[in-house]
Amino acid sequence: MTTADWAGELSAGADPDLVERVLRLAAAPWVHPERLRGAVEANLDRPCVRVEDVIAGLEAAGDARSRPLPRRAQVREVALALLRHGARMAIVGQPGYPRRLADAWPELGAPLWLFLRAPEARLPAAAAVAVVGTRHPTVDGAQTAVALGRLLARHGVTVVSGMARGIDQAAHRGALQAGGATVAVLGTGFGVDYPAGDETVREAVAAAGGLVSELPPGCGPKPQHFIWRNRLISGLADVTVVVQGRVRSGALHTARLAAAQGREVMAVPGSVNDPASRAPLDLIRDGATPLTRLSDVLDIVGVVDAQRGGMQDGPATPGNTLTARLSADASDLLTLIGAVPAAPGALARAAQRPVTTILAAVAELETAGLVRATPRGPVLA
Amino acid sequence: MVGRVRTMAVVGLQAVAVTVEAHVAGGLPGFSVIGSWGPAAGQAADRVRTALATVGVAMPGRKVLISLAPADLPKAGARFDLAMAAAILLELGVVEQAALDGVALLGELALDGEVRPVPGVLPSAAALSATGVHRLAVADANAAEAALAGGPEVVPVRHLAELLAVLRKEQAPRPAPAGDNDVAAATVPAAGPDLADVRGQAEARRALEVAAAGGHHLLLLGPPGCGKSMLARRLPGILPPLTDDQALEVAGVRSVAGLLGDPVRLERRPPLCSPHHTMSAAALFGGGTGVARPGQLSLAHHGVLFLDELFEWPRGVIEALRQPLEDGVICVARSRATVTYPARVQLVCAANPCPCGGGDRCSCSDDAVWAYRSRLSGPLADRLDLAPAVEPLSAGDLLSAQAGESSAAVAARVASARAVARDRWGQAVTCNAVAPARLVRQSVRPAALRTLANAVEAGALTGRGYDRALRVARTCADLEGSQMVGTDHVLEAYAHRLGLRQQPTAAASAVGPAVAVAQW
Ligand SMILES: [Zn+2]
Repeated sequence: MTTADWAGELSAGADPDLVERVLRLAAAPWVHPERLRGAVEANLDRPCVRVEDVIAGLEAAGDARSRPLPRRAQVREVALALLRHGARMAIVGQPGYPRRLADAWPELGAPLWLFLRAPEARLPAAAAVAVVGTRHPTVDGAQTAVALGRLLARHGVTVVSGMARGIDQAAHRGALQAGGATVAVLGTGFGVDYPAGDETVREAVAAAGGLVSELPPGCGPKPQHFIWRNRLISGLADVTVVVQGRVRSGALHTARLAAAQGREVMAVPGSVNDPASRAPLDLIRDGATPLTRLSDVLDIVGVVDAQRGGMQDGPATPGNTLTARLSADASDLLTLIGAVPAAPGALARAAQRPVTTILAAVAELETAGLVRATPRGPVLA
Repeated sequence: MVGRVRTMAVVGLQAVAVTVEAHVAGGLPGFSVIGSWGPAAGQAADRVRTALATVGVAMPGRKVLISLAPADLPKAGARFDLAMAAAILLELGVVEQAALDGVALLGELALDGEVRPVPGVLPSAAALSATGVHRLAVADANAAEAALAGGPEVVPVRHLAELLAVLRKEQAPRPAPAGDNDVAAATVPAAGPDLADVRGQAEARRALEVAAAGGHHLLLLGPPGCGKSMLARRLPGILPPLTDDQALEVAGVRSVAGLLGDPVRLERRPPLCSPHHTMSAAALFGGGTGVARPGQLSLAHHGVLFLDELFEWPRGVIEALRQPLEDGVICVARSRATVTYPARVQLVCAANPCPCGGGDRCSCSDDAVWAYRSRLSGPLADRLDLAPAVEPLSAGDLLSAQAGESSAAVAARVASARAVARDRWGQAVTCNAVAPARLVRQSVRPAALRTLANAVEAGALTGRGYDRALRVARTCADLEGSQMVGTDHVLEAYAHRLGLRQQPTAAASAVGPAVAVAQW
């Protein structure tokens, strides 16, 4: 495979030389978002920040000893690895680069490149809302995230989040259940099982919207990756909704980045007594729009609440295989199971279904990897 | 000629015919008993000699030799006193051999000649019919028990003098207590605690019903005071009543343990024993000096053994439960004999769900709970099939929840599920829990089998758990009246096992790195 071949496949419509140069940067561990910001800022006093200048600046920062740039053969290996994972590369200013993210170029944190796995190698073009929050939500928080995901998806809005367990996955699942589009920004490169064991959800999201990463394939999770990725979550969405988060939470960070990117920030007002609602409450205090009912988010997105217009649930997209396989009972139960464990007896009461139905549904969801059995009962996986 | 008198020894629940021979001769005075005996022999000699004196049979200056055959049987207790006295009376010509033909005697003698009850009369009486004995003389207090067997005619005797009078035909034997004690009459189980008292607890109630219908072992997980033992105590009430044979076996164990109640009646309700975790192994498994008496495990035969606070039990005791649970019998070795007692029990265990006890104020970490649950692993985990969560009752439940379904309604479903299973398996298999895995699989739909096989492949189920889940699924299908086991049945069975789950190993439980706020 020649460079032109793999470059053409990896980034259709872009100049192969450009593709190779950018991938070379992307494959160098030292070219991380902090470095990219430095390269961008070096050009900010110019009338216009040109992609070419940023690339050249980064290339010039390399040196053979401490900041080596990979050789051509190595770059080719990375390209082939990406293709093996079904991934493509989008370069800012080139075809396939998400429009909303491009709005954040250069100084608002948009990446020079990103890798994505999505149908037709394109993220959904529709309006998008990021739903973010803690990894350790309450039942109510997780249910809110699922409901938001469903509502948005049902109205054709793409749900963006970070694939973390807790609120993130709840939002993804809600969208999947409604058969809608959802996009996840990963804190790892492609080909890494993280969160471990959640491959089913990842694949479902890849098929129903897309997976996004700016890290080279095989790159494992590191704390800074999750901080870096937050700007992509906010940048890919028109609105960021913080469902739950504690003091100093990543969700709070995402919301601040969204505000800095000029995007709308909404927060779900929780109890003042609930530590998990600290972040949204602080955001509301600082001027974020409180979500007083779920449909508020639709108003903000500017989408007509189609329910008022009499629109019904859209058909499930063919790519949404995750929930399509589930029985109706299991799908219903999925909306009830939060990140806080609930005993089957309690779920039976809440769903007003026979406990035998609930037990079978719990087992179905557990074997499908959608819920996880904890010693206290089933929780969202 | 040496006189022969018949009596019965009991080893475990096994009654064995024993022949007593007495030889009275001149010589150095003495009273000895031949056959494996023990220090109790001297006491028996004293009792028999003194009791005989009260009926005017004195043996000054005589040498008395008693032999008990077969000689290799352990012959504990004072149960042969009456037979030994009769054998001496026969030897001395006080009574005729004919008077003792077809008669067996069982009883202890007091020094004043009074006849006292002994344990194990019921299994003895039950076994007598086969030996050609048609009359059994026992103490008054044993008469009702002896009559339960429905075998030989029971001759109650209060005093050695009464026995003598009856044997010499000077007095007609008193009739044995009759009426509602025989097998046919006692068919209605005594009323016990009712499931209607249990509010809420949908999962635990369902698990209890499935356990009852299939004979599966159960673990109740819930905080203290949530009603675990309340549930366990209601299991016997929804199990099918004991059959004639089972009721006799259960009464037999109680008889041998000397625990057959007063008034004596044949209990149709399966027994429930709830030993405490501080109980000695002997009290649980059977023990005592010489020959072992049945323990709680055997007293729960054909019924329920309830182990509360499972994790407090010594590991060794739990380990030792494994074999009897498998075999349905327990062998207890003691100095004089190794005896086998029946131990076909349904196990109900209860435990707190987490180290702090659980409940609303629980703040145990998942890891702490997993570590605590790891005590489940090993011998017992593989034998438990259902582990429902018993929820702490909220004030709201107490006020608003309707009374639960009654035991009678649940028992009716259990009975019909058991009937379906009996029709399918025939006599050899008593309940689904002990059905051969190969047979169970035959009635499972392929899709359902695949569902479970996938779980095994995913590491969510062990091979053994696979077969146990299939048996529980079989029971779920039987409760529904379904001939084939479908996916829903298999899924329900799988869900019932989730409480038994051990901490997933691998990286599956890895948690993402903490996200700190940093400005990009
Ligand atoms: Zn606890």
